[in-house]
This record gives sequence, structure tokens and C-alpha cells, in this order.
Amino acid sequence: MKRLWTLFKQGIIYENPLLMLMIGLCSALAVTTNVSNGIGMGLAMTFVLLCSEIIISLFRKVIPSSIRIPIFIIVIAAFTTIIDYVMQAFFPELSKSMGVFIPLIVVNCIIMGRVEAFAYKKGIVDCVADSLGMGLGYTWVLVAIAAVRELLGNGTFAGLQVMPDSFQPILFFTLSPGGFLVFALFISFNIWLKGRMNKTQARRDVAKEDAA
Amino acid sequence: MMKQYLRLGLILAAFAVAACVGLAFVYAATSDQIAANQDKQLNESLKGLFPDAEGFKDVTADMTALAGESKLETAYVATRSGAVLGLAIKAHGPSYGGPATVLVGMGTDRRIVGVRILAISDTPGLGLNASNPGYYVKKAEKVTFTGQFASKLITDGFVVKQDVDAITASTITSKAITAIVKASVDSGESWIERNALGGN
Amino acid sequence: MIKIFIIALLINNIVIMRYLALCSYVGMTSDVGQSVGMGFAVTFVTVLATAATWPLYHFILVPLHLEFLKILVFILVIAALVQLVEYYLKKNVPGLYAAMGIYLPLITTNCAILAVTFENISNNYSFITSIVYAVGVSAGYLLAMVLLAGVRIRIRNSTVPKFLQGTPILFVATSLIAVAFMGFSGLIK
Repeated sequence: MKRLWTLFKQGIIYENPLLMLMIGLCSALAVTTNVSNGIGMGLAMTFVLLCSEIIISLFRKVIPSSIRIPIFIIVIAAFTTIIDYVMQAFFPELSKSMGVFIPLIVVNCIIMGRVEAFAYKKGIVDCVADSLGMGLGYTWVLVAIAAVRELLGNGTFAGLQVMPDSFQPILFFTLSPGGFLVFALFISFNIWLKGRMNKTQARRDVAKEDAA
Repeated sequence: MMKQYLRLGLILAAFAVAACVGLAFVYAATSDQIAANQDKQLNESLKGLFPDAEGFKDVTADMTALAGESKLETAYVATRSGAVLGLAIKAHGPSYGGPATVLVGMGTDRRIVGVRILAISDTPGLGLNASNPGYYVKKAEKVTFTGQFASKLITDGFVVKQDVDAITASTITSKAITAIVKASVDSGESWIERNALGGN
Repeated sequence: MIKIFIIALLINNIVIMRYLALCSYVGMTSDVGQSVGMGFAVTFVTVLATAATWPLYHFILVPLHLEFLKILVFILVIAALVQLVEYYLKKNVPGLYAAMGIYLPLITTNCAILAVTFENISNNYSFITSIVYAVGVSAGYLLAMVLLAGVRIRIRNSTVPKFLQGTPILFVATSLIAVAFMGFSGLIK
């Protein structure tokens, strides 16, 4: 159980796909103009990641290595199509507002990367923990970036007016340049955080050595 | 050697077939809901333009093609007790980030009843404000971009920044939507004339 | 049609304004030559992919009511095309093949290419318009890549504040390029 929890935590913080591994960036900037889109995208991607990892882990003994990439593509594309149609049917507003980015989940490097590096080699339960961790790690970063951009660029949070009427929204943040800038600051903050974590880890290692 | 390729091919085919079958199921399960969603949006918009209408008859076949790059999708006649209230024209045309779909309602008095944006994919905060109910082109009177077309005579001018107020920093979107509206009402006017309605 | 090209190239540039194809944008712009090579490779694959997927959709998927297979079919076509390009380069232009290394198979996951194929359908473009759009978008991609490669040369020779070193400064630079690109929207009347 502890192992599963560690796996889960990896995705959320230590190996966060967007901030640490720096993959899956495309959709991250495009859908973070507001929080609803961010949550929608994060959960949709988590769904595809979870289902793909489960199926591939289930069949990993049967999938020959030489044709594994096309099979991964087929599985991921199938689940992307499923979530696309489900969203069109039951969340039409969200689906329209995200446009082409839901189908683009199929080329999200995170999913392809995790399936290749993890699902193809590990058992189902591990895969569930990993995919949920990665998926939620992706989602929280999306929501964080979206929160900044929506609050500053629109004065709202998930559509609800938060900033006082006197606040003049800074349109810059919902537009392309603002997105890049906010993202740059997030990455910068994360590099700093990583540095701190490494220092703490090094200190812990030294302390362990001393104790031994 | 051949046998190995055959085996690989079969496994690949098996996955592909499984995927297609699964997708066919999901498609069958959701397509009704998706169609219903689109109908719902259209019906709500039609009702919004003609609240007194009792019925809407499809007259798309009767309409002339739209000028310019706009394309007619469907046209409905709004009727009440047998009398024609007006025409609702659904058309799409190119806009900044992709096509925009617009529903234009016009009365037999040759005035625009209203304009509804059904689909648009422009930049949020800029072009997307065309469909934003909280964005006003005339702040004092709280008139939205599409709201300004209401009660407009179709023989009036439709030049953006002259007769039509543009969305700030979104001239392309403003012109695109205006073009679709203009093309729609022109076609609508010719239908009204051909069917001998309207006083003048 | 010129309008569509200009909009795809400048006003609505796929990388700078629409945030697509970022992984390769960050990864392959350390050298201008590499950027150009990548840009042309992407152009080639995008145009081929459009030429393949458009008829596939309109003449096979639609008549058979199989539109829901769009995502699956399109990505498989692109993956197959990239394999073909890889094979061709390995045989005939081994220098470029070696230079591109890992980034060649990564063209498959290039969001821009798939996005173009999807948009040709959702925007109801004719075949010719789709090709023009594909060329416009790829040209925009090439432009963005070369621009950033050029800027990176300057960055290497300047002092960057510690907290922005590495990737953050690239995105700050892109942010400024984006501000400049926003000025292009006055091009179309």
C-alpha cells in the first residue's frame, strides 16, 4: 500500500509531468484561459491515461514489442474518441469551448510516454496508482495556471466574479503572451522548488550517513 | 518468417477491430444525445428570437444562396395562427479562428428581430466577446454586439465602425459576423418579397 | 484563400498564438540549421497528411458513416507517414537523419499536424483550401522555430537572471515574440 501511495505522489509532485518532466505542454497553455477548461482538460486527460494504462498493462504479455507503438496509438486514440463523444453528449458547452484540444489528447506526450515507460512493464494496480498520480499532477498545475490567468485576465474564477468591480481585467493574461509568461514563471518556481527538495534530500542523506 | 509477420498482423488487426467495435458502441450510445443537444440549442435560440411563435417551418429549399463567403444552413418561418411572424436564418461564415454560425431573426416589417451566435471559435476576451452576454459595445445602454442588430432595418448600412459598432480590438470578428448577418438578411428579404409578404 | 494563408502564417500562428507544437519548439531550436530542417520535415508531413486524410475522410469515412473513427484513422495515417519519411531519410539523406535523431519519430506526436488535419474537417475546407491551410500552418511553424533559434543565440551571449535560466527565459522570449505577432492582426481588413 505504501508503495502505491509513493507511486501516486510521484506524479503529483516529484515527477510532475508538466513542471518536472516538461512534457505535454501544448494543451497546458491553450486550455488554461479559464479554470473550467483547465479542470475539464485535466480530468479528460486523466481518464484517457487511466484507461490506456489499464488496457495496455492488462495485455502487456500479449503485445509484441515490434508493433507496440501502433497498438499504443490505437488504444489511446480509442479512449480519446470515447471521452470526446462523451463530452459532446453530456458537457456540450465545455466540449465546444475546448474545441480541437480534446481530440488532441491522443498526441499528448504524457500518455504515450507513461504507457511506454510504465504500463508496458508493470501490473495493473501499479498502473492505476501511476496514472491517477500523473493525471492529477497534470490537472492541478493546469488549474493553478488557469486560476492565475483567469483571475488576472478576467477577474473571475471558474466563471464566478471574484475580483471587485473596480478591478480592470488585464486582458494580457488570457492572451498568448500572457500564457507564455505565466508558464515561464511557473517553471522557474518549480526549478527553485526542485533545488530546495534536492538540498533537503542531500541533507537527509548526510544525516543518515552520520547516524550509521 | 511469414508466419511471424502473419501473427503480428493478426494481433494488430485484433486490437484495431476491438477499438472500432468499442467506438461504434460509444458512438451509438452518444449520438442521440449529441443530436439532441444541437437541436436544443437551436430551439432555444429560435424561441428566444420569436417568443410568440407557435411553430417553425423549414423553408431552406426556398431560400436563395447567400452572397460572399457565407453559407446558408437552414431557414425557418415562424408562424402564429397561420400568420407569418418572421424568418429565422441559420448561416455560417469564416471568422478569425474558424467558422462562426449565426442565427438571424427578421420580421416581415424588414427589421432584424435579433441575432444569436450559435458557434464561434475566436479568441476569448477579444473575438469571443461577440457571444459574451456581459460584453457591451455601448456601455451606457448595455447593448451587446449582437444586441445592436435588433430593430435594425435591413436596408440600412452594415459597414463596421460606421453603422455597426465593432468589438474593441476585434475588427476581423466584428466584420465576419456582420457579413454573415448581412448576407442572411438579404436572402431573407428576397424570400419575403417572393412570398408577397410585408407592406412595402 | 490568400487570407487563410496569411492568417495561418502570421495572425494566428500555430506556435506563437495557438500554443501548439511546443515540445519540438523548445527542444529543436538550439541551432538554426536544425530548426530549418525540422520545419521542412513538418511541412512535408503536414501537407502529405492533409492530402491523405482529407480524401480518406470525405470519400471513405463519411459515406460509410464511420466519422467516429476520425481520430484513430488520422493519427495512424500520420504515424505511418512519419515512418515512411524516416525510412526515406535513412536511405537517401543519412546526414539529416542522424542530425534529427530522436526528434524524427516525435513528429508523430506533433500536435500541429494532427490539429491541421482535424481543422480541415471541422472548418469544412475544400481540398485545395486544406492544402493551402496546411502549407500556411507549417510555414508559420517554420517561422516560429527559426525566430526562436535566432533569439536563443542572443540569449546564450547575454546574462540571464538566475531565476530565469534554462527554459523559463525561452518562454519569456516567446511571450515577447507573441506580443509582436499580435501586431499582425491589422494585416487583414
